[in-house]
Amino acid sequence: MNCAEYKGLLVAYIEGLLSEAEKRSLQEHLKGCAACQTELDEINNLRRRLVNNGKILAQSDIENVVLERIIREQNVRLQTAEKAGTSLRIRRIIMKSKIIRLAAAAAIIIVAIVGVSRFFGGTVTFAEVIKPILNARTVVLDFVVGSEETGPVMHDIIFGSKIRRTFSNMDTILIIDLDNAKMLTLDPPSKGAVYVGIDGPLREGTRNLIEFVRNAVIRVKDQPDMPVQELGQREIDGRKAVGFLVRGLNEDLTIWADATTATPIRIELLYGQTLYILKNIEFDVPVDESLVSMDVPAGYTLSDKQFDMRQFTEQDFITVLRLWAEHMLGGNFPESLSLEDLMNLTPQIGQKIGQLNISDEEKTQLGMTLGRGFVFFQQLGPNGVDWHYAGGGVRLGDASKAVFWYQPKGSPTYRVIYGDLSVKDLAPEDLPK
Amino acid sequence: MPDTDKSAERLADKYYVERCLDGHPDDFRYLVRRYQAVLLAHLAGKLGNKDKAEEAAQESFVRAYFRMDSLNKPDLFYSWLLGIADNVAKEHQRNEQIRRQREAVRSFSQEAPQPELSQDYALEAAIAKLPQAYREVILLRYYGQHSCNKIAEQLDMPLGTVTKTLSRAYAMLRDSLQQQHNNTYEV
Repeated sequence: MNCAEYKGLLVAYIEGLLSEAEKRSLQEHLKGCAACQTELDEINNLRRRLVNNGKILAQSDIENVVLERIIREQNVRLQTAEKAGTSLRIRRIIMKSKIIRLAAAAAIIIVAIVGVSRFFGGTVTFAEVIKPILNARTVVLDFVVGSEETGPVMHDIIFGSKIRRTFSNMDTILIIDLDNAKMLTLDPPSKGAVYVGIDGPLREGTRNLIEFVRNAVIRVKDQPDMPVQELGQREIDGRKAVGFLVRGLNEDLTIWADATTATPIRIELLYGQTLYILKNIEFDVPVDESLVSMDVPAGYTLSDKQFDMRQFTEQDFITVLRLWAEHMLGGNFPESLSLEDLMNLTPQIGQKIGQLNISDEEKTQLGMTLGRGFVFFQQLGPNGVDWHYAGGGVRLGDASKAVFWYQPKGSPTYRVIYGDLSVKDLAPEDLPK
Repeated sequence: MPDTDKSAERLADKYYVERCLDGHPDDFRYLVRRYQAVLLAHLAGKLGNKDKAEEAAQESFVRAYFRMDSLNKPDLFYSWLLGIADNVAKEHQRNEQIRRQREAVRSFSQEAPQPELSQDYALEAAIAKLPQAYREVILLRYYGQHSCNKIAEQLDMPLGTVTKTLSRAYAMLRDSLQQQHNNTYEV
């Protein structure tokens, strides 16, 4: 090889892309050729300059500024547009297969459930505000998991221990009977119906959100040494509201109540790593009891499939990770993992499963596995399980990087899931940094 | 793996573009994070000032977000974004020109203030002068932190072409920097 040819190899050499033989040959040549060595030094100097400049530019915090501008402008457009959907031309995912719709709906059951085993104490200074929470027979509310701007909105009609739940990002209707640990899932477009068992480990500690808040408030009443912080006044949906913040061990509960009637209008619950927002709350409004009936409505066909959410395992959750990376992100794990992310993912991944070249039976099984995987993830926080997600930037199949780890209750070690979806038991001191 | 004809990078872009279109503006965050340094470098060279580049980069991202429904191939988000940034830069330059002309009329006796230059303006200016194909590769390598393999995937070219393009781009950058240096010190 002559000098020109060696020079042609320099970039590949720097990038570590040469074969062993080429590398040795080039290194040998560099020892004896000042011109090529100088060329290499100059390229490296330029590279240093580029790397430094890149670092400086990467430090700019334009991410938050851009997001703020988008949200602000979006809100303006939403207010001025007749219909939000048409102005932003937002598409909605339409799932074609009925069975997939039902399976995806079964997956979303998780959001009906907030497991509670411990709560906190407080004072009675906001007794007036909590009265409706304690005594209401019916409650109607909107409920968002995660960010108000991006999380799907659920509309709940709560009647005693029964809930009728509808969604902003899916057509599905859920009727949940907490006393009997049973759920009726309805799919209006296909007139499909299915019963889902939510008995077993899920039953214990399963509450509707108002009951969750109610229990919290009862504890507060019983332990008057726990301080309730007053947050002052704020305008919410055009009404003057007063706020109270109660800090618990794992939970922060903020209640905003109408300043004149003392009726709660907005409740924010930060539980573990998840924020639940309850808004547009109305207490003791007349509710037609047939709305929460567990009977299959006229015109619907009951599926013979048995959807069962009682048993859920780590393996189900691993399937969720695999499907997400493989079918939604071209082999990359998602940047973040939260309940909100999973809920947003549901319609899309349901659609993906619908397109897979497998039998309907297999699709149904996959849909159910997905649902159980969601439940597995959802119950970690409420059960006080320490978990951590680190999948951002990791490729599916990469055995060297940990994606997710958690410490099962009572276990001295952590279960660590790697990029190739293998699992190891590691002591806390051996966990990835 | 399905979709073998498209790179993982491009598929990830596509996923986040679709998420935004489905009404999840917060997911735009990932696209901003991925391309902010690339866009800043691209604009800094054209506008000659880090603050102006930041302003233009913000504007480009916001425009991209609200025009996302006109992006026919979501997996080509990167090239599309650079196109938007070019337009924004042109508008900024035009406005700047008008402002300067007005200012010159008002106070032509005063000396124009020195523009506040970013850390390595010479380098950014040299990058801005590179032909499109070379600039794209340099931006991805040093401002997008992509490996050569990833660039090959993203731009759909053989790995050998990536290293050759880089090699050529280095030579052009060095020439251009040398020229700027000479102009500064020999006049």
